[in-house]
Amino acid sequence: MAEARLRWLLPLGLSLAVLVPLGVLWQRSLIPGSLSVLDMGVPDFGTGTVFGASAHDHHGEAGTSVTDLVDAPNRPADVTVDLRADAAQLEIAGRPVQGFTVNGTSPGPTIRAQQGQLVEVRFTNGSVPGGATLHWHGVDVPNAMDGVAGVTQDAVDVGHSFTYRFVASRAGTYWYHSHQVSHRQVIGGLLGALVVSPAGDATPSETGDVVAIAHTYAGFRTINGQAGDLRVAAAPGDRVRVRVVNTDNATLPLWADQPVTLAALDGSEVNRPTPLTGVMVGVAAGGRADLLVDVPAAGAARVQLSKSTAVIVGADGVEPPPPSQPSSWLDLLSYGSPLATTLDPTRPDRSFSYRMTQQPGFVRGRPGVWWAINGQLYPQLPMFMVRQGELVAVHFDNQTTETHPMHLHGHHLLVLARNHQPASGSPWWTDSLDVLPGENYDVVFWATNPGLWMDHCHNLDHAKDGMITHLAYEGVTTPFRLGGDHLNEPE
Amino acid sequence: MKKLYSLVAYLVCGLVAVQAGTMVWAHSGMFQWVAAGGVLDKAAIESSDSLTFDGVQGFMIHGMNGMMVIPSVAVVLLVLSFFAKVPHGVAWAIGVAVLVALQVALGLLGHEFTISGLFHGVNALVLFTVALLAGLRARG
Ligand SMILES: [Cu+2]
Repeated sequence: MAEARLRWLLPLGLSLAVLVPLGVLWQRSLIPGSLSVLDMGVPDFGTGTVFGASAHDHHGEAGTSVTDLVDAPNRPADVTVDLRADAAQLEIAGRPVQGFTVNGTSPGPTIRAQQGQLVEVRFTNGSVPGGATLHWHGVDVPNAMDGVAGVTQDAVDVGHSFTYRFVASRAGTYWYHSHQVSHRQVIGGLLGALVVSPAGDATPSETGDVVAIAHTYAGFRTINGQAGDLRVAAAPGDRVRVRVVNTDNATLPLWADQPVTLAALDGSEVNRPTPLTGVMVGVAAGGRADLLVDVPAAGAARVQLSKSTAVIVGADGVEPPPPSQPSSWLDLLSYGSPLATTLDPTRPDRSFSYRMTQQPGFVRGRPGVWWAINGQLYPQLPMFMVRQGELVAVHFDNQTTETHPMHLHGHHLLVLARNHQPASGSPWWTDSLDVLPGENYDVVFWATNPGLWMDHCHNLDHAKDGMITHLAYEGVTTPFRLGGDHLNEPE
Repeated sequence: MKKLYSLVAYLVCGLVAVQAGTMVWAHSGMFQWVAAGGVLDKAAIESSDSLTFDGVQGFMIHGMNGMMVIPSVAVVLLVLSFFAKVPHGVAWAIGVAVLVALQVALGLLGHEFTISGLFHGVNALVLFTVALLAGLRARG
């Protein structure tokens, strides 16, 4: 009798031993249909003081709502733009591609403003199914204007509008893109450039200024939406600033047939940049690189944006041959010259670890091998908790087999070291930092822009698979929810 | 129960065959697409959802089948083995599960170490064989 029972109990026990842990992991990976970002993840205070978990335990608690975090609400706008997004069939290299337009084209219009101006963009969703938003990539906008569906606003449904207002406080090259179902909408072309020129004309040596948005539509590389080369008319001796924006999911390599200078990276000017020869500049996904191109006496200079597209700066009709692709990359750690700064980055108030690995498990109920952060899978990811005014250090450590372009919203990261080797060049400010397999970076940022900010991988397919964390300031709450009636889905 | 065990073991064989087929199918389509002017670089690969060539679904099927379906079926086989009383059935099922885990690991490591792809292909045949032997064993 006992033996017969054992004959059933043993297999049953073994089965449960296998299935119960799997079931628990599966159950933990499910996301409710409507969820506050504040209930996602586990508060991580790093090495700093633990404060009342008021931001996390937000129910019925008085805090600052993200909607109150705005710039000068009564100040009249200096630059006003109407943008309308639509689902549309694009024509890329003569082929039809399903995508999105902004004001009828993809990329949408380039917005130009002067440093210090208040930019007001009235965004209307014409026909993008499932809603859309605009995120201002690289601009330290106030949190309410960050454009993250389900965190700082609801996705804008078809026929509705949302007005973005922010002061363009830093000069540089930026871009805007949807942050609702971004792995589809950005890939489909719901994006455009934003150029903020310095107050006053600070760069008299430059005779030209052109935007080159690199985007791959359905496998076809383009510059400013056109396959092939972008021609920029210029005379010998001219110096043209080419603002390259990498809107793809992977690193964009740049190289030229003559020395060019990397004047700015992610909107921040490089201190004393030197002309580059024989190296590629790697622009991380989401990143921007401003190149200064001097038109040679021979008539035209050629800058490759990957092997398949180029910007040709010079006289019409001159066709410089493609230069061979260099085998090495520019090391930004030692490029340019150091700059004495009043900000001391060496004594952080708080240090966080951001360790990336791959581990088997479930994400949204699907089994697989997924991106993990600090050993945890989405949605049990760390919620990085900070207080306003703190200096915050982050140690990125990529132990995966792929590159991750790390993008923190609303802040700029200052790179201090890579693989523990200190930065020795120009201050390296970035908002889109490529962390290669096996690399680690030490960066800092100043927590001076309160809100709830995404801190995620800008390979949007990785973000979709859960490579998404948030930075939360003490006491900031949000009325918006992931999922819910607006089907907010920022990834 | 034995019959079910053997069917599920054969299912692993069938799914491994799907893996081999989809990969070559997708590569055939990809090379024709490149020949017709498509450019395959990191940016294109990283937005593979938007690629439209014939056979591109092969990459997706390979990924989903390899990372989700086959591991799930291997777990089912393991659970069945506790009940099925196949001679050494549990050991064979554990063998299948271990080879599946190894196969996923080798596939992912191939993103970093080329040689891993070589072993990924070979291990597929080992997995196929072990699953087949497990299935045959259950038939007695
Ligand atoms: Cu990533």
